[in-house]
Amino acid sequence: MSDEEHHFESKADAGASKTYPQQAGTIRKNGYIVIKNRPCKVVEVSTSKTGKHGHAKCHFVAIDIFNAKKLEDIVPSSHNCDVPHVTRTDYQLIDISEDGFVSLLTENGNTKDDLRLPTDETLLAQIKDGFAEGKDLVVTVMSAMGEEQICALKDIGPK
Amino acid sequence: MQSAGISFLESLVSEFSPGTSTGMGLPKDYHEQCHSSMELNYLKEFYCWAKSAALNVADKIVSCYANISEEKVCSRALRFMFQVLNWNFKSSPSALDNSSSKSNSGSFGIRPDMGLLKKFERSLLEPGPLWHDALLSSGHMLWLLNFYAIVRQKHSSDMLWFDSPLAVSARQLIVQLCSLTGTIFPSDDGEMHIKHLTQILSAVIEWVEPPNIISGALRSGRSESEMIDGFHALLSMATLTSTMLFDNLLRSLRPFGTIHLLATLTCEVVQTYVIKNDDEQTWSSEALDIMLEIWTVILGRSGNDMKISAEGISSASNLFSTIVESHLKAAAESAFEDDSEADYFHVSVSRRDETLYAYALIARAAVETTVPFLTRLFSERFALLSQNNERMDPTQTLEELYWLLLITGHVLTDSGEGETVLVPEAIQDGFSGVTEELQHPVIVLSWSIISFAKQSLDPKMRNAYFSPRLMEAVIWFLARWVDTYLMPIDAAKGQLGISGHDEGLQQHPQSSKKVLLSFAGQHSQGETILDTIIRISMTTLTSYPGENELQALTCWKLLVVLVRRRHVCIHLVALESWRDLARAFANERTLFSLNARLQRSLAETLVCAASSFKDLETSNQYVRDLMGPMTAYLVDISSRNDLKAVAQQADAIYMVSCLLERLRGASRATQPRTQKSIFEMGCAVMNSLLTLLELYKNQSAVVYLILKFVVDFVEGEVAFLSAKETSILVNFCLQLLRIYSSHNIGKISLSLSTSLQSEAQTEKYKDLRALLQLLTNICSKDLVDFSSFSNDAESTDIAEVIYVGLHIVTPLISLELLKYPKLSCDYFALISHLLEVYPEKVAQLNKEAFDHIVRTLDFGVCHQDVDIVDKCLRAVNALASYHYKEKIAGKEGLGAKALSSEESNGEFQQSILSYFLRLLIQLLLYQDFRMELAGSAADALFPLVLCEQDLYQRLVQEILEKQSNPAIKTRLASAFYALTSTNQLSSSLDRNNRFRFRKNLQVFLIEVSGFMRII
Repeated sequence: MSDEEHHFESKADAGASKTYPQQAGTIRKNGYIVIKNRPCKVVEVSTSKTGKHGHAKCHFVAIDIFNAKKLEDIVPSSHNCDVPHVTRTDYQLIDISEDGFVSLLTENGNTKDDLRLPTDETLLAQIKDGFAEGKDLVVTVMSAMGEEQICALKDIGPK
Repeated sequence: MQSAGISFLESLVSEFSPGTSTGMGLPKDYHEQCHSSMELNYLKEFYCWAKSAALNVADKIVSCYANISEEKVCSRALRFMFQVLNWNFKSSPSALDNSSSKSNSGSFGIRPDMGLLKKFERSLLEPGPLWHDALLSSGHMLWLLNFYAIVRQKHSSDMLWFDSPLAVSARQLIVQLCSLTGTIFPSDDGEMHIKHLTQILSAVIEWVEPPNIISGALRSGRSESEMIDGFHALLSMATLTSTMLFDNLLRSLRPFGTIHLLATLTCEVVQTYVIKNDDEQTWSSEALDIMLEIWTVILGRSGNDMKISAEGISSASNLFSTIVESHLKAAAESAFEDDSEADYFHVSVSRRDETLYAYALIARAAVETTVPFLTRLFSERFALLSQNNERMDPTQTLEELYWLLLITGHVLTDSGEGETVLVPEAIQDGFSGVTEELQHPVIVLSWSIISFAKQSLDPKMRNAYFSPRLMEAVIWFLARWVDTYLMPIDAAKGQLGISGHDEGLQQHPQSSKKVLLSFAGQHSQGETILDTIIRISMTTLTSYPGENELQALTCWKLLVVLVRRRHVCIHLVALESWRDLARAFANERTLFSLNARLQRSLAETLVCAASSFKDLETSNQYVRDLMGPMTAYLVDISSRNDLKAVAQQADAIYMVSCLLERLRGASRATQPRTQKSIFEMGCAVMNSLLTLLELYKNQSAVVYLILKFVVDFVEGEVAFLSAKETSILVNFCLQLLRIYSSHNIGKISLSLSTSLQSEAQTEKYKDLRALLQLLTNICSKDLVDFSSFSNDAESTDIAEVIYVGLHIVTPLISLELLKYPKLSCDYFALISHLLEVYPEKVAQLNKEAFDHIVRTLDFGVCHQDVDIVDKCLRAVNALASYHYKEKIAGKEGLGAKALSSEESNGEFQQSILSYFLRLLIQLLLYQDFRMELAGSAADALFPLVLCEQDLYQRLVQEILEKQSNPAIKTRLASAFYALTSTNQLSSSLDRNNRFRFRKNLQVFLIEVSGFMRII
C-alpha cells in the first residue's frame, strides 16, 4: 500500500469541514450520519430495492445526538451520505455556576466557560449531585457540527 | 341430559390428562397413579358410552327427524370420543414390540414412524391391544364413515354445513382414527391395518375428489375445512405406510394410485396458491403446506421405503411442470411490484426454501424429465435476453430467470448446512443410459447456467441485464453448485485409476454417475470454472457499489465455499484471478468501499487459502504479502504527529475500522501453517493498538473492534506460542485491560434519549463480553499447548495474569449486566474454569473482588439457564473442595473469607460454604430441579456436606421436623439416610467417592421428587 495512495483526504488543518462523505452502504448501525442537517446516530439500517430489479437503497433510522429526536432517511446505497465529525473531549469539572454554565479545565490549563449544563432534570441531577458530593469529576463533551454537549461523566477521584 | 353427562366426562378426562390438569397441591407420583388408573380402567368405558350415545341419536339424524338438541348430543359425543383418542397413552407396550415391528416394516410396508406428524401438532395414536374390540372389530369405523357420508349427502347443497359442529367433530374423529397404529393391530403382516386405512381412504376420497371441482367450489365460497381434513388424513396415511403401499392403497378403489391423486390435488392447490388474487383464500397456503409435507414424507425417505411406480413418476413430472409454469407466470406478473411491499410467494427466506426443497424432491422423483425441462426453460429465457437488443423491458424475463435459478439450485443440490455436501442420490443414480459428458442433462443444465453467469463479466451485458437481484440468485446458485459438483470428493478418490471417459474398457453400470462426478473435476474443466467464478465474484465486489446483500452473499457464501476444501484451494492459489483478488485486497483502494464486516470475511477467506501451499514458508509469505500493507498502514497512522487532530475525523475512523476488521478476519483464519506469520502481524500492531485504544476511548465502535481483534488473535494463537511469545502476548493483553478499565470504571453516560442510553449500555455489555472471552482464551493456554518446547524460567504464570485480569474486570460487571444471557454465560464459564484450575489464586483475591464473585455465583445458581447453573455448581464444587482439602492438610483454606459476614441483609451471616449448602438443599428439595443437573449438583453438594457436617445434620433435622405428614416424613428420613450412608461412602474427595455420591443423589432425587413435587 503506497503512501500517496492512502493518506487521509483530510489533513489536520482541514478540521473546518464538519462532515465527510461516505458510501451509504458502508454505514452500519451505531455509526453516525447527517440527516436534515443534524448529526445523528444510526439505530437501524434496512435495505430494500427500488423495484425488484432496481438498485439497493438504505433506509436509516437515526437519533439526533443532541436533542434525541428521531429522524429517518432513504438513500441509494451506492450514493454518499454525509457523516458528521463527532469528537469527544474530556475536561475536568471545576465549577458549576448559578446561571447554568459549567467551568471546565482544558488540557493546556485554560478554562472553558461557554458550556451550558443540560436542561434535562435527571442529567442535571447526575452532574450536580456528583459535584456536590465533592467528587473529582471528568466530563466528556461531545461536539459535532458546531454544537457541544456533555455526554458522559466519570469519577476519577481516589477510591 | 345426555349432553350434560358428556360435558362432565369431557372435563373429567381433561383433568386427568397431565397437560391440562389444574394444580391441586398433590405430589407428582399421586398424579401419575391417577393417570394410569384412568387409562386402564375407565377410558375405554367412557369411550363406549359416548359411542352408544352417538348411536342412539344417529338414526334420527340420518332420517332428518332429529331436533337441535339431539344433533348437539351427537356432535358432543363425537367430540368427546376425539378427546379420548387424544389421550397420551402410556401403557401401550410399543417399546417392547419395537423390534418385531421394525422387522415387519420391510415386508409389508407399515412403518412405525414416530414424530413425523409433529409439524401440524398431531400425534400418532397408540392405544394398545385392549382397544381392539372398541375401535376395530366392532364395525365402529364403518358405522362412523357411513354415518358421515349419509349426513353429508343430505346436506350437499348446504354450504354452511361443512363447518357445523357435527361435521367438524365427525371429521376430526375420522382423521384421528387414521393415525391409529401400534399393537392394537394383530400381527398379521399389516393386513388389518391396510384394510383399516383403505376403508378410511374410500370415505375420505369423497372429500377431495375430483380436485378441479372441489377447488372450483372452494373458490366460489365453500368452506375448505373438509378438504383440509382430507389432506390431514392423507398425511397420516403417508406417514404410516411405505411409499409403495401408500400408492397402492387407492388401487382397489380407482384405476390409478394414490400418488397420482396426490399430484392432481397438488396441481390444483399450487395453481390457486400462486394466483392469490385476494386475501380471503388463505386456505391455499395451508393446503399447500400439508400437501408438500406429504410429498416430503413419501419422497424424503431412502432405500426400499421409497419406490415409486412408473405412473407415480410421470405424475410427479407433470406436477413439477405445473409448479414451475405457475410460478413462472406469477414471477412474470409480479416483476414490477416493489420489492419491499409484497413479495408474492415468500414470507421469509427459510419458509421459501422449505417450499422449494419440497418442490425439488418432487422434481428429483422424475429427474429424467424434469432436468431437461428446466434446461429448456432456462435456455429459452436466456435466448430471449440475447435477442432483445434493448428494445423491450427485460424485467419480466429477469424475474423468471431469478426464480428458475432458485428452483434449479434446489433440484441439483442439497443445502448441506454443516455437513459435507454430496450430489443428491436421485441425480447420481438417474440417467443410467447416459455415457457422454455432453449429453448428460445435469451437465448440460450446469453449463448453460455457468455460461449465463459468465455473461455478467461483460460490462454491457451486466448493465443491461444483470440486476443486483438476478446476480444474487446467480451467486447463490454458484455457491451451492460449487460445493456439490466442483472437484467432488468422490471423484477425487476415484481418480486413482484414471480411466477418464474410457467407457469402452468396462461397461460400468454407473458410468453416468462417473461422468457426472468428473466433468468439473480436478483434471477436467474444474480449473476453468473456478477461474470464471472468481472473476464473477470480483465483479460483484467491485461493480455493484453499495449492494450489500449481493456482496454479503459473495463473501459469506460463495468465496467461503471455495476455500473450504483443500484440494480446491491448491488450484485456487495457482490461478491468476485469485492473485488479482489478493493483490486488490492488499494494495488497492477499491475493496475499502465494501462494508467493513465483509472486508473481515474477505480477509479470512484469503488467508484461509494459504493452508494449501505445500511449503510452510510459502504459506507464511503469502500471508505476509497479504496482510503486510495493513499492519504497515496501521503503524503509520498511529505514529503520525498530527494524529490527535486527524484521528477523530470520520474518514480516519472509517479507515481504522476497516483495517481492524481485516486484521480480525485474518486472525480468525489462523491455522498451524500460518500461525507464525499471523503472530508477526499481531506483534507488529500491538503498540499501535494501545495508542489507538487510548485515542479512541470515546469511540466505542473502534474500541470494540480492537477488543474483538485481540480476542480472536489470542484464540487463534495462544496454543502455539512458546514461553517467550506467550509473555509478549500476555503483557500486551494486560496493558490493554488496564487502559480499558481506566477509561471505563465509574463512567456514567448521559443522554437525553433512552434509546441512545440503552445503546450505550449495550455497547458496554459487548465490550465486557469481549474482555471475558479474552481472559477465557488466555486461560486455555494452560490446557492446550502445542508449543514445541517450554522453558520454565521464561514462562509466564497464566494464573497471575488471570488474577490481575479478574481484578480489572470484575468491578465492571454488575448483576444488572449478568441478565444478558450471553454475557452471563461467558462470565460463568470463566469463573468456573478459574475456580477449578486456580482455586488458590481466587482465595488470594482481595475481599471486594472475592465477595463479588461469590455474589455472582449466588445469582447464577438460581438462574434459569441450565448451562449457567451447571457452571456455577462446578464453581461451588471447586471452591468447597479446595477449602476441604486445605483444611485436611492443616492450612487455612479460604480462611477468613469463608467466614465473611459483613453483608447487611443477613444473607451472608453464616460462612459462604454453609450458605451454599443451605441454598443447594433448598433447590434440590423444593424447586423444580432438573435431573440433567443432578451430576454437577452432587459434585457440589458432596464437598459442602463434608465441610459443614454439623450444619448439614441440623438442616436435615429442620426439614424433617417441618414435614407434617408422617408417611412422607419417614420416607424423607430414610432417603436422607441413604444419601449419605449407603454405597460405602467415605469422607474423602477422591473420584470413586464422588461417583458413589452421584449415584446416591440420583436415587435420592428420584425417590424424593415423587412426593415433594406438588402439582
